[in-house]
Amino acid sequence: MSTTRTWLRHNLFRTRRDTVLTVVFGLFALWLLYKTFRFIFITGRWTIIEVNLELLMIGRYPEAHVLRLAVTVVVLALWGGLLAGFIRGRQVRSGRMTAADSRLTRARLTDLVERLWIPLALVLLLLMLTSTPGPWITAALALVAALVGRLVGPFLGRVRLPAFASVAVLIVFAAIPVALYFYVVTAVGFDGWGGFMLNLFLAVCSIILCYPLGVLLALGRRSGLPLVRLVCTTYIELIRGAPLFVLLLLANVALGFFVPDSLAPATSTRAIVVFTFFTAAYMAEIIRGGLQSVPRGQIEAAKAVGLSPIRQTGYIVLPQALRNVIPAQIGQLISLFKDTTLAGIAMGLFELLQVSGAITSQPEFRGQGLIAETLTFAALMFWVVSYTMSRESQRLEKRLGVGVR
Amino acid sequence: MTDEPTHETGVFDDATAMTGTRDVMIEIEHVDKFFGDFQALKDINLKVGAQEVVVVIGPSGSGKSTLIRCINRLEEHDGGRIVVDGTELSNDIRNIQEVRRETGMVFQSFNLFPHLTVLDNITLAPRKVRRMPKAKAEALGMELLEMVKIPEQAGKYPGQMSGGQQQRVAIARALAMNPKVMLFDEPTSALDPEMIGEVLDTMKELARSGMTMIVVTHEMGFAREVADRVVFMADGQIVEVGTPEHFFESPREDRTKLFLSQIL
Repeated sequence: MSTTRTWLRHNLFRTRRDTVLTVVFGLFALWLLYKTFRFIFITGRWTIIEVNLELLMIGRYPEAHVLRLAVTVVVLALWGGLLAGFIRGRQVRSGRMTAADSRLTRARLTDLVERLWIPLALVLLLLMLTSTPGPWITAALALVAALVGRLVGPFLGRVRLPAFASVAVLIVFAAIPVALYFYVVTAVGFDGWGGFMLNLFLAVCSIILCYPLGVLLALGRRSGLPLVRLVCTTYIELIRGAPLFVLLLLANVALGFFVPDSLAPATSTRAIVVFTFFTAAYMAEIIRGGLQSVPRGQIEAAKAVGLSPIRQTGYIVLPQALRNVIPAQIGQLISLFKDTTLAGIAMGLFELLQVSGAITSQPEFRGQGLIAETLTFAALMFWVVSYTMSRESQRLEKRLGVGVR
Repeated sequence: MTDEPTHETGVFDDATAMTGTRDVMIEIEHVDKFFGDFQALKDINLKVGAQEVVVVIGPSGSGKSTLIRCINRLEEHDGGRIVVDGTELSNDIRNIQEVRRETGMVFQSFNLFPHLTVLDNITLAPRKVRRMPKAKAEALGMELLEMVKIPEQAGKYPGQMSGGQQQRVAIARALAMNPKVMLFDEPTSALDPEMIGEVLDTMKELARSGMTMIVVTHEMGFAREVADRVVFMADGQIVEVGTPEHFFESPREDRTKLFLSQIL
């Protein structure tokens, strides 16, 4: 008890001025908390979320094909589990991890739940809001699929396959998400996607595509060839000088100047292209900073052991450069994820923010001023995903041992 | 002055005379090197024979490091020619790669790859450059770690080791490419005093095994014990060359005497 009192006195009430500040800000904080609490549990009318949950999550995806989404979720869970298990298996095979460490123990599971409790809690909340058993069944199956994958994966990772067979396995593995995309898209076409699913998909695609492009641009900007350097620098500076919103609008309008309407790609595809090219320019500058942080001695040592320039970059410089700028990279990718809402405003895509606005003018909710509720919900969704990305990046940073020199 | 090296007296008129009868491993002729307006190397001539150990000493800024960094093209020389085991260093990247494969280098600040384990540090080049199968490369790596007496550190990362251990790993890494020449650029200068011995012991063992070595160092004890020839450099020039006995006991040049009086 006395330690609490000492702590309070030491940190909050040391001088008269401290006391005044503590009281004022304490009251303010209490008032804020009270208001928030009241909004969430008393005045907030959340029926609009409950009624429109499906629209918010998957947009106007046709009822008849929703099963496809469920299948996709379950297969993705299996895929992720297999991948995680496979990687563990490989690590055991190459001696980087003991078989005992790789096993899926209860401690490991609790650790995983602890790590991901915020997104898991959100999923649970969403499930509680649903009125049909479908999502519950999907979630349960996905959980089982992930576990099965994680348990089977290590065996796949441990077997030794001939080179062509492992390449085949790799191709099949990489093809699964692509196949799932076509499975989902054939029901409605890409432009029929909506809701938070669309935000996630736009972000995932753009992240995967912009990363290698960013690395290439960063390397190009430091290239010894003047022409390559010029092209990369011009590209980066041009893109970084234009507002993302303008680029999105342009992609919507200006593409017609170059491509006939019949050949024009779907609006969502255009959005992905813009996000990819835009973010790649920023990633390039971040990665360039990382490249500059690698000491000269590293390159000299790589040269001295006889590595070719490409291998010097690939094995020595890039791994260290990318590791050194993980926080800035993740920051940029989180930013990209949140910017997917701009695609709604600029291109009319029916993503989460657009849905949040649209549902307030439904006949049963019109004129009730429910925008605060729907926006809060949208913000929560974005926050949970962004915060999870941020936390996982910190973990990655620690695991790759930044600062262990 | 005579053209013949006078082994009996331990004095050499220039650095192109090797000790004993040997095949030439490194040939440096009239080499100049400029950093902007500053001339770091002035008309350097040096021949190093196979299995010879040459120790280069001199005050800081005398061009010792620049000289050995020119031998594997970490610095590009501006005039003259450098030939390593029959391959002349030119702007042809293939020649440069060829020379780098045949020369190992150990740096003052170790320059181990911090993101790779000790074993991966050693096996990377043999696997990627010599295309050695992984198992064979790792067997070789363990053998080299035995040689430098730290096999138990194979799975660690460089950041988890002491300076002396890191430098021994760096030596093992250089040896993994089975080089014909080893270049040492002040290998003990960044080490705590108690770790210098372990690194020097490794180098002595290497010298005894018949490795051709050029060592830039301030360790006079090492030079005395191991060197076939000692080369003294000052202001970008080779001032004096001699066997260790002669060099330390009865140096000829005033500049050499001054330097020795300052450090001994």
